[in-house]
Amino acid sequence: MNKSRRTQATSGSLAGSALGRYGYLVPIFVLFILVELYPFVYSVVLSFWNKHLLHPNADQFIGLGNYIKMLQSPHFIRAIRNSTVFTVGSVVFEYLVGLGSALILNSRHIKFRNLFRAIVLLPWVVPIAVNSLIWKFMLSPNFGFINQLLAAIGFPHLLTVNWLGDIRYAMPAVIFVNVWRSFPFYTITLLAGLAQIPSDLYEAASIDGASKWQSFIHITLPGIRGVSQVIVVLHIIWTFVNFDVIYLLTKGGPLRMTEVVPTLLYREAFDFFNMGYAAAMGVFLLVVLAITVGRAYTKTSSFQ
Amino acid sequence: MKRSCRYIGVVSLVLILFVMPTLAAAQVSLEVWNDFNPATSIDARALVEAYREYERLNPGVKINHNTMTYADLRQKAVVANQAGTGPDVLHMLGEWVAEFSALGIIEDITDLVENWEDKDQFPASTWAVATSQGRIYGIPSIASTRALVYRNDLFEEVGIAEPPVTWSDLRDVAKKLAVDRDGDGRADVAGFAFCSSTDAVRGPQEFLVLLWSTGAELAVQTDGKWVPGFTVDQVRDVYQLLYDMMHVDKSVPEYIRGWEYNDLDQAFEVGTVAMCQNGAWMANRATRSATGEHWRTAAVPYQKVPATYMEVKVEAIGAHSANKAEAWNLLSYLMSKDQMYSFTKYDNLPSRSDVMALPYYQENEIWCKTFLELVPHGKVIPSIPLSQVFLSSMEYLQAVLYKLATPEQAAQGFYDDTAAYLSTLR
Repeated sequence: MNKSRRTQATSGSLAGSALGRYGYLVPIFVLFILVELYPFVYSVVLSFWNKHLLHPNADQFIGLGNYIKMLQSPHFIRAIRNSTVFTVGSVVFEYLVGLGSALILNSRHIKFRNLFRAIVLLPWVVPIAVNSLIWKFMLSPNFGFINQLLAAIGFPHLLTVNWLGDIRYAMPAVIFVNVWRSFPFYTITLLAGLAQIPSDLYEAASIDGASKWQSFIHITLPGIRGVSQVIVVLHIIWTFVNFDVIYLLTKGGPLRMTEVVPTLLYREAFDFFNMGYAAAMGVFLLVVLAITVGRAYTKTSSFQ
Repeated sequence: MKRSCRYIGVVSLVLILFVMPTLAAAQVSLEVWNDFNPATSIDARALVEAYREYERLNPGVKINHNTMTYADLRQKAVVANQAGTGPDVLHMLGEWVAEFSALGIIEDITDLVENWEDKDQFPASTWAVATSQGRIYGIPSIASTRALVYRNDLFEEVGIAEPPVTWSDLRDVAKKLAVDRDGDGRADVAGFAFCSSTDAVRGPQEFLVLLWSTGAELAVQTDGKWVPGFTVDQVRDVYQLLYDMMHVDKSVPEYIRGWEYNDLDQAFEVGTVAMCQNGAWMANRATRSATGEHWRTAAVPYQKVPATYMEVKVEAIGAHSANKAEAWNLLSYLMSKDQMYSFTKYDNLPSRSDVMALPYYQENEIWCKTFLELVPHGKVIPSIPLSQVFLSSMEYLQAVLYKLATPEQAAQGFYDDTAAYLSTLR
């Protein structure tokens, strides 16, 4: 009798605890459905429809029509090209600047290292909107700080250069601002990676007569390979889908020279109200990233 | 102790459930979205004071004033509408009325306006801007033309007595103004400048003034369908004028390509631009600027027909507002003669005829009278969604200025794009 009661109690508490465990998951599951799954499924469905907010009674299922129109659009092709240039340019320079600053801050010869590490983080902790608007002001022609500075140090002809409004300089300028904003993340992450490399490896290499460069190539780079892969893959994704930096700096202009897929998508959705077409771009972006970078990300994650 | 806690808990619950909603119901909160920034504008401070006065007169009403730029206003209204929400009162550019009414962002207030005793105080041309598909969607609050704003001190330096009247005069005067003062081989002053950013609302407006002055319209309706109201030659003349001033006369420097209105207004203020199209809001800037006493105004130079942009701003009631009656009461109060006079003195001009007739406006030669005298030449943008056409006009302009397209090619491209877009309007 007692045994049977004990068994019942045990199974009851097991059921209760299992229910409790799953119960704890309910809020996040509901949240996931509401803010992730539902919008995603809705976007995919929308991408097969001709849905224009100005013509609410003309909704029509058009299958792959939006995708065909998108791939035939010179604006979309240009946006893909610009997104690629923006992403490659940003990630390459972010990595180089981040690695350079991490190596400097990792050096034992630098005094006040912790202070400098904190200062390096500043661009990254400033909100993107504030960051972008400050740079927009500093890069403005005639009155911007950068042009005033350039004129003061002997380049008066640069006073009037419209860095963000001239088709020749707009893309390098937005890449520069994005690099300035993002490199501290690389610095801090790579610093953590550098700290993991055992110092006796460098001592052994030194005893064997290896130069600084050889130590860097054969010890430092392999030592931070794992962390480098993770941050580069993450930043490729983040930069390819980045909207705020370019939108706040140039809105995709001049002459669509900085128009990337997210800004084009936004323009189609909220300037021209072409929701079905914009949804197709969003789905395309997701699929491309999933196939290319997502694969690399999975490999990197498993490597980690 | 336990009993006291329980008692307090029950009383709190009763208060939350029954008393608080009653108190909340007694207080109507009106969300107002506009671009009137009290930090920078005297008129905006007057408007905020009008809100406070309205709250004093109507103790149950609280007005939450949200100020944002026009670009943000438009974006926020569209996004909020998608979520089924929005402000109670929304300030808009006139060219948004067609889009916002079609999107269901703003309320049809035709019946309220028809029964409003002040309706006849507003010129018919301003009501036309607030109307789409024959229905009225707001009250015109500000009506201002565009003028040629110029620096009299720079004119006097090169011996010019009168502002230009025609395009031909404009080219001549701009050339004389673009002189090299410091001997570095480059003109230190832009004789003329304009907005050409694809992002700036003023770029398409300035472009339209030039197009209208060729005798053209942007779009006209024939047999119920919208078609371009201009010819390829007319729009080519506009692109050709701006191309010639930049690349032939060198009176418009290349560095102005992609300028937004902030760039233009700042350059005018410091004297690196001598002439530009601008609005009566520059009066506010003139009062703060060290050079403001030298600023003058005249009609925008024309090719065949004097023309200017009649900018009408509209106050609408949000379609998702839960307080439409209160929103109308607020709007009709703000648009009364006395209130409108209070907030249209420095960087805005009134839309009401009886306010325009007041001595304050008739005696201020530079910043009021000139602009009011241009009203007969004022033209409004057709009440149809035109965002794509505006973007296209600036992209072709930039292509011309960067020599990526000839004025002929740009004109043909703009005509074709406009015709194709208009044909999609139902």
